[in-house]
Amino acid sequence: MNLITVEQTEIQQAAKAFVAQNIIPKAAEYDKSGAFHAFLLEAAKPSKIFGMAVPKSFGGLEYSPLTQALVLEEWGYGCCGMATTLAASILSMESVMLAGTDAQKKQFYTPLLNGKIGAFALTEPSAGSDVGGGKTTAVKTAAGYTINGSKCWITNGGIAQVFIIFAQTDPKAGVKGISAFIMERGTPGFSVGDEEDKLGLRSSNTVFLRLEDVKIPASSLLGKAGDGMKIAMQTLDLARPAIGALAVGLAQRALDDCVAHVHERFPGKPFPGQALQFKLADMRIQIEAARQVLHHMMALREAGKPFSEESAMSKTFATDVAMNVTTTALRLMGSAGYTSGAAKLMRDAKVMQIYEGTNQIQRLVIARAVLARPKVTAPEKALAK
Amino acid sequence: MSISLDENLQRIQLSAEAFAEEFLEPIAADLDRSGNFPRALIAELARQQLLALPVVKHAGFTAHVATLQTLAKSCPAVAAIVNNHALAAHAIFKWGSDSQKFAHVAALVQGEQLGALAIHEATGANALTGTISNGKITLAGKKRFVRNAGVADLYVAYATIGTSFSAVIVPAKTPGLSAGTAYPTMGLRGCPVADITFTNVVLEDSFLLGSAAENPSILAELLAAHAAGEGAITAGIGKAAAKHAANAARHRVQFGHPIASLQAIQQLLAEIATDTHLAALGIRHAAQLIDDGAPFLVESAMIKSFLGRFGQKILIDAIQVEGGMGICETAPPHFEGALPLARLFRDIAGTTLLDSPADFPEAAIAAAL
Repeated sequence: MNLITVEQTEIQQAAKAFVAQNIIPKAAEYDKSGAFHAFLLEAAKPSKIFGMAVPKSFGGLEYSPLTQALVLEEWGYGCCGMATTLAASILSMESVMLAGTDAQKKQFYTPLLNGKIGAFALTEPSAGSDVGGGKTTAVKTAAGYTINGSKCWITNGGIAQVFIIFAQTDPKAGVKGISAFIMERGTPGFSVGDEEDKLGLRSSNTVFLRLEDVKIPASSLLGKAGDGMKIAMQTLDLARPAIGALAVGLAQRALDDCVAHVHERFPGKPFPGQALQFKLADMRIQIEAARQVLHHMMALREAGKPFSEESAMSKTFATDVAMNVTTTALRLMGSAGYTSGAAKLMRDAKVMQIYEGTNQIQRLVIARAVLARPKVTAPEKALAK
Repeated sequence: MSISLDENLQRIQLSAEAFAEEFLEPIAADLDRSGNFPRALIAELARQQLLALPVVKHAGFTAHVATLQTLAKSCPAVAAIVNNHALAAHAIFKWGSDSQKFAHVAALVQGEQLGALAIHEATGANALTGTISNGKITLAGKKRFVRNAGVADLYVAYATIGTSFSAVIVPAKTPGLSAGTAYPTMGLRGCPVADITFTNVVLEDSFLLGSAAENPSILAELLAAHAAGEGAITAGIGKAAAKHAANAARHRVQFGHPIASLQAIQQLLAEIATDTHLAALGIRHAAQLIDDGAPFLVESAMIKSFLGRFGQKILIDAIQVEGGMGICETAPPHFEGALPLARLFRDIAGTTLLDSPADFPEAAIAAAL
């Protein structure tokens, strides 16, 4: 039974074709050099896919969360380094979608519909998992705000046209003193530092940002002063499943490559030993389970139900599955995998267990939700029977 | 089983530690980046009597695996070169004729010759086959994924000759033998991996190693001893990763405390240390069995099975502890100190591979039960 609509199937097929034509043939080359895949923004421009989450009223495609997940899975199948550029751009716009005024939405969405991308700048050297530990400040002036500080590990940071910048407007208030701002590339005082040389997602742009007396108008403030932490957490709740979608695609790719290798290594032998068969079956089970956790989370979101816990589950489970599946696939493929593209899949998976909130932080979120529920006891009479 | 090292092994261990600190620590990151075979280091390893310990008197496999573990803590690629070389030396020392031993063993110990094993079979018509007539062997075909390929002076190559899978000592300079371009490997860079092509390679039949009847058991033992060595390298990588991750956890402050104070981090560190320690004990046991001349194929399969499940996990978790800095291939300008975990993550993938998708070390263990 096909559980997705005809329209979703068409979008999925279009994404598959785009990935096959533009992403898969270039993935190895960009992984090797680590250079940013700038060609991709041009190639994707006609389809407006970087605006797939932008509402139609602003000229976007307004894909539903599940439809976005289908597209992101295809991109992840092709190359998670390239797919991360898309996922991180969508992440940045979710903040505007949550808290922006119409004018702010227009300012932020327009570049995304014209071959440009966004970046979400939250992390700092002292503030990784501990989001409240940031030292970047935004001081209110007559003209607006003056921002000083630095950001690190910023995906798309060296390329993006529009940024969401988090800074302390009231350092004494701790996490309640954080505010979110829109900033455009080219604002004086803003500069991009060195690009990170990473184990995986190598062609995804990851940089250090410096903010020295960056002056932005008061109209750049998203929501109210002090709303920053709330906006950041809600944005990440919305965006984490995108990483889950990439990870599902990545894991599916590893299984497909592994199966192709098995056929090549044992031609004319459709059923190898049980040990191998069971490993392939376990990979398949894990991937499908990760995909369904993700799709269920997207269904909750579409139905307007709470999904924060499911969002954390989806990212954690799918990226852990991607790590397991790629590791097993590489081991099974032996030297052939170790000297080929299969090695990239495993390196990419490792980064995904860390970025957009480590899987440890996700487990804290999930455990808190589990422990906050009222105590459930089994009905004694039913058990006695 | 005693797990303390005797005086002689302690001396070898100290020498390996000094070598790793002086020669490997400073070059490991550069070697990974360049991937150039470190020829000068091989001469130095030989000078320090660390190159072919399995065939050195009063040393043996116990010394070999302890040394590999020590070298791998600093540079797993060099340890991999040593393991492949030492196993070629071991094969000739254990199963070679007197004249074969005379021609190669001392030269392999002294680093005048570098050895390699060429076992992995190319599929179908490309497999290496040989014929014997008039006292000459003619070899044609290919061996795949040979480590130390192109830099070795001799290969212990397996070929199907008649109905048996036989070992032949093939000098690298034999006309008709050629090494392909080295593969871009994920890790262990500096230990070249390439295919070796044999185009009508003709040798005297005195180059055959062991008798046709002996050959299946030679191959099984050779692969098992090689796996014990790879296990030792894996354990060395695990020890280095545990040390680095623990250090990172002590220094990284989040939520007002070093993250080492968090149970979630302690759990990861403890599992890394536990898996590495248990693997090292199993490897030490297998090496002792080899030195005693006792059966060790099951123990070797256990190492392969255990590290197949936990080997890569050691680095997956070590990087998780270090977080963003753990995935850095080179330290960013705002960071002081070395960041070896990304390299070790790629290296450990190279020591925990199966020979083929159908390779199933658990079969030997189950059969023994």
